[in-house]
Amino acid sequence: MIRGIKGYVLYGLGFFIVLELMLFAAIFYWPTFAENFSAISKLASPIPMLRNLTTVVKEEGIPAYVIGQHYFKGCSALGTAACVLFAASAIAGEAHRGTMEIWLSRPVSRTRLLTERWLGGLIAVILPVFLSSYTIPYLLDMVDESMQWDDITRCSIHMCLFLAPIYAITFAWSAFGSEPLRISFVMLFLSILTFALYLVESATDYSLFRIVDVRVFLEILKTKSFDWKMVGPLLAATGIFYVVALKAFQRRTP
Amino acid sequence: MTTRTEAAISPSEGPGPAPPTYAGQGVISVEGLGHRFGDKIALQDGLNLTLGPGGVVGLLGPNGSGKSTLMRILVGLVPKQMGTAVVDGATLLGDGLAVRKRVTYAPGELHLYGEMKGSEHLKLLLRGRGHAAVEKALSIAAGLDLPLHRRVRGYSHGMKRQLLFAASMGPDVRVRILDEISEGLDPTKRSQILGRIEEDADSGTTILLSSHHLAEIDRACKRIVFLNDGRIIADEDSEAVRQRAARVIKIRFAEGSEGLIEAKLQGDDVERVDVEGNDVRVLLREEDPRPFLGRLSGIQGLSAPQSVEHGKLSLRELYRSLYGVEGT
Repeated sequence: MIRGIKGYVLYGLGFFIVLELMLFAAIFYWPTFAENFSAISKLASPIPMLRNLTTVVKEEGIPAYVIGQHYFKGCSALGTAACVLFAASAIAGEAHRGTMEIWLSRPVSRTRLLTERWLGGLIAVILPVFLSSYTIPYLLDMVDESMQWDDITRCSIHMCLFLAPIYAITFAWSAFGSEPLRISFVMLFLSILTFALYLVESATDYSLFRIVDVRVFLEILKTKSFDWKMVGPLLAATGIFYVVALKAFQRRTP
Repeated sequence: MTTRTEAAISPSEGPGPAPPTYAGQGVISVEGLGHRFGDKIALQDGLNLTLGPGGVVGLLGPNGSGKSTLMRILVGLVPKQMGTAVVDGATLLGDGLAVRKRVTYAPGELHLYGEMKGSEHLKLLLRGRGHAAVEKALSIAAGLDLPLHRRVRGYSHGMKRQLLFAASMGPDVRVRILDEISEGLDPTKRSQILGRIEEDADSGTTILLSSHHLAEIDRACKRIVFLNDGRIIADEDSEAVRQRAARVIKIRFAEGSEGLIEAKLQGDDVERVDVEGNDVRVLLREEDPRPFLGRLSGIQGLSAPQSVEHGKLSLRELYRSLYGVEGT
């Protein structure tokens, strides 16, 4: 269970290191990837969604490759897991350990206790996404490629807006529950299920991972703006589930 | 926020500089309180109680009688469902923050963050209390020989209890609510802790103490509140309880003694008779047992008692005798 600034820093640092290692490996693999593109396309061809992905990379070059590797594969898949793991035990963990009573019995308001923990966990997810993304231009330099800083910022914001509701939903469940493991398993199962849906061509439009599809990011790079029809509901869901968590927490007994 | 030093409403009389006081200082006042957990009644509707200012008040009762629920409601840990509660001048509203700023609370459930060191844990428990409270708590903990440099997971049950005690005694407040604070302690530590509690109460602090250890209630408490099934069944001065104890006679008859003992023992000098098998507890109207004992020897059809005890009852037996319920 994460508790205190030290805990958030450690978890956030761990998430950052994993993202950075994946990014580092992906970018340094780029020249080999580009050389063997046709062979890789052939390998991906049996799965339509992967075939589409390779097609996009072929058409758009390095930005699509970086988005696919870092944002779609790294941040969305690992970020979802991080959101679930960081949020599931936030409140339920205290109930599970029996420490809820001493946690609540201090002269600190419940709103403050919950908000501190909510923000702490969210920052531990978001900050590594931004920090690792901002190393992209430096890493690309080493393989004689480049990407704009503002494009990276926009992509990172979009990525975090995808992760925030997942975090908020898990956190809200944690505010009601007392079994963090069950919350984690169910949320991770749902995430894997929705990721699997993304890979099925006929069902892909029902998958949440469509929100972080490579084409969506490329559209952001092209228009230099966000699709508010997509981003708005994500922001609203985050806010709503924060309020749900707060209301549940205020009525909670140790 | 109104604090002890800020709110000078009615300075006390007498020579020398008087400490500032405020309305309801050190008083716990409950009116019409009631609480249910689903179908289970934790506190019967309409519980009224006023405690303090000053002194140790013992909260007694069997498991599930509502002691911990009452304490948790008072500090806002369990949301209040009905009635009003005012603690140290602060009305219990919302999540009870105003009350928690004015009281300390030591929970009965003993679950701590094992990965933290003792000193770190004390600081965590005293978040929002200020540096002086932390320093005082550290000093109390050191006085209790707690290894504050060690991780709490290595603490014994009693050491964890003492850590909670130190944290609850650190802040300079007028009300302390201590739920089973001496549970699991050896007699020496228990005595040490009781000594500190008595010392604190002598300085004007109101301490609500729940305990399963009746000897300590007997030693420390000036007033005893007895809860059973979420209802206050007795609220009296401990001295009055002791006086009543002096009126109880415990008699044991031989096995197979003839029936109707209760009817045979009744008389003008008897307030109540409780029969439990061959054991009989008689509550006399007067302290002097001699008239009853004289009458006992003359009762027809009653075998000679195997033993007669007077003035030796434990608090547990006393509660059984006085209120017909098990103590703790």
